[in-house]
Amino acid sequence: MAYPSVDRRRTLAAAVLGREQGFPGQTAGGAPLRAVTGQIRDISPHLVLVETPDGADERLVIAPWAKAWHGGDVAPADLPLGARVVMRTREGRVVEHIWAETLRITGTIRSWEGRKDVRVELDCGPHRGRRTIVIPYRATGRLRVRHPQFEPGYLFDAIGVRKDGTALAVLPATSQPAYPARSVPPPPPAYGGTTARISGTVTWSDAFDEDEWGASYPMVERSDAGCPDAGVSCAGLPYLALGSLLQVHNVCTGRSANVPIVACGCVAGRFCDRCVECDTSPRGRIAELSPLTYVELGGDLVKGCFNAQIGLG
Amino acid sequence: MRDVLASQLPVLIVLLCLGAAAKVAVSRSGREPTALARLGPAVLVPARFQAPALLVCAAGELALAAGLLLSTHPAIRWASVAFFSMSTYVLLELRRRRPDAGCGCFGEVSSAPVDVRSIARTMTLAGLAALSVWAPVPGWVAFAQPSWGFLLAGLVVLAVLSPEIEELVERVRHRAPCEQRPGPAEGVMLARLRASGTWRAERERLASPEPYDSWRELCWRFFVFKNHEHDDVVFAVFMAGRRPAVRVAVVAADNESLPSYAPVSVWR
Repeated sequence: MAYPSVDRRRTLAAAVLGREQGFPGQTAGGAPLRAVTGQIRDISPHLVLVETPDGADERLVIAPWAKAWHGGDVAPADLPLGARVVMRTREGRVVEHIWAETLRITGTIRSWEGRKDVRVELDCGPHRGRRTIVIPYRATGRLRVRHPQFEPGYLFDAIGVRKDGTALAVLPATSQPAYPARSVPPPPPAYGGTTARISGTVTWSDAFDEDEWGASYPMVERSDAGCPDAGVSCAGLPYLALGSLLQVHNVCTGRSANVPIVACGCVAGRFCDRCVECDTSPRGRIAELSPLTYVELGGDLVKGCFNAQIGLG
Repeated sequence: MRDVLASQLPVLIVLLCLGAAAKVAVSRSGREPTALARLGPAVLVPARFQAPALLVCAAGELALAAGLLLSTHPAIRWASVAFFSMSTYVLLELRRRRPDAGCGCFGEVSSAPVDVRSIARTMTLAGLAALSVWAPVPGWVAFAQPSWGFLLAGLVVLAVLSPEIEELVERVRHRAPCEQRPGPAEGVMLARLRASGTWRAERERLASPEPYDSWRELCWRFFVFKNHEHDDVVFAVFMAGRRPAVRVAVVAADNESLPSYAPVSVWR
């Protein structure tokens, strides 16, 4: 029998437990933002034409205040043709932020070599495999100061850019946790008077499909998700399943959305870090969003995280 | 005779105070309506009334406890009988409408789904309250001169009927609530499902005894089977306890939002 869609699980769970079925989408936080992803076909200071992943052309207006990032801040019109972009739009068609060829390089260091430009091999978890990235000489100081344990077995997290087919790490996305990836600290005792709402940091990942709306979540049963590294987090998360609906609230912008869990976030669960985007969040990554979802919740891909609270959608 | 009639007053007063304190603690802990734990009859009222509903309930319990402690007025005694009788009805209604919600009687410790024992407990409490209606002394006298035999008998009956005690033992053992604890393996849960009365009632309608999908969400493990009409038969098995609560519903194969008919709950 064909494996059923995990989206069906929400319908079945709602039916058997008599609860209301939630639906994915933005739920609160003012005028909805729309993220558009695609490949630039033409760009001028005021207009951009992109080819979306489903093959359609979309023509959008670039706001005068729009910002663009392509390894550094650039003018929107200077973005190269053919670049893959994620854009945040207001009122559907007015672009106010463009991120071009932006990568999120998250994983465990396996090996590294090189004196000037450092070539690093990362283990990105059982689903995402391994990837090799390059830290250009000009970025090594900035990255190494936030990754003091630059040794195999320690975690690495950086924002990068794809240039000429090579993934270049440009900015540190977090301060490296001081422990090896296999030694994640245990969550705080659940009955120690901690707050009942689960707060922490929400990040994004480039391992999703380009137009995918969803999240990866660390606390899923290993046998269900087929992920031997899942079920680890220092944030005291409840067990959920692929297909469960997560209500993510961006504390910094006040936006909320119901996001389906589409993958296991086994690497995200190993980070016991904080986000300082608008305040200091409690420790622990509680979800990793697809770029589209992250941008529509008001996140900035280059900053890499926002303070968030989650509930069951 | 006076000893028998007044013997259960201390039990009622202490339980009412504990229930009130736990409800105040839950409403002050900042749980949101969509929070992961869904507690008590408050889930039956709209979201914005949930915290006030808990507080009103707590205030009622505290008022009854104070009345039983200080007065012998029959109105207060009958009010406590009415309170526990109404609680029994509310729990039955909660079990029918929201089988995933706990009774919330003692705050978040009472997060296990409402079962026969929780309902039997409120019925017992209603009975004890009815017994105390004719007690000639106020509660504080019963506290001062307890009749230990009857008091202990009442406590033992209530302890046997309290699922919270198992939950407290689990908490001491694991230091984490059910939804954060690693659960039993899928095969163990399937065996528990197959040992349940719900399964025996549905078994004949299933096309295959092996589930085609299974997943865990919070404290529930779900198993989905196909029946002979190719509709989905979904079972939810609670993950705590050796004889867990089991729910079942049949959902039409092409239905994306609503069950084809109301969920069926079968008493074990």
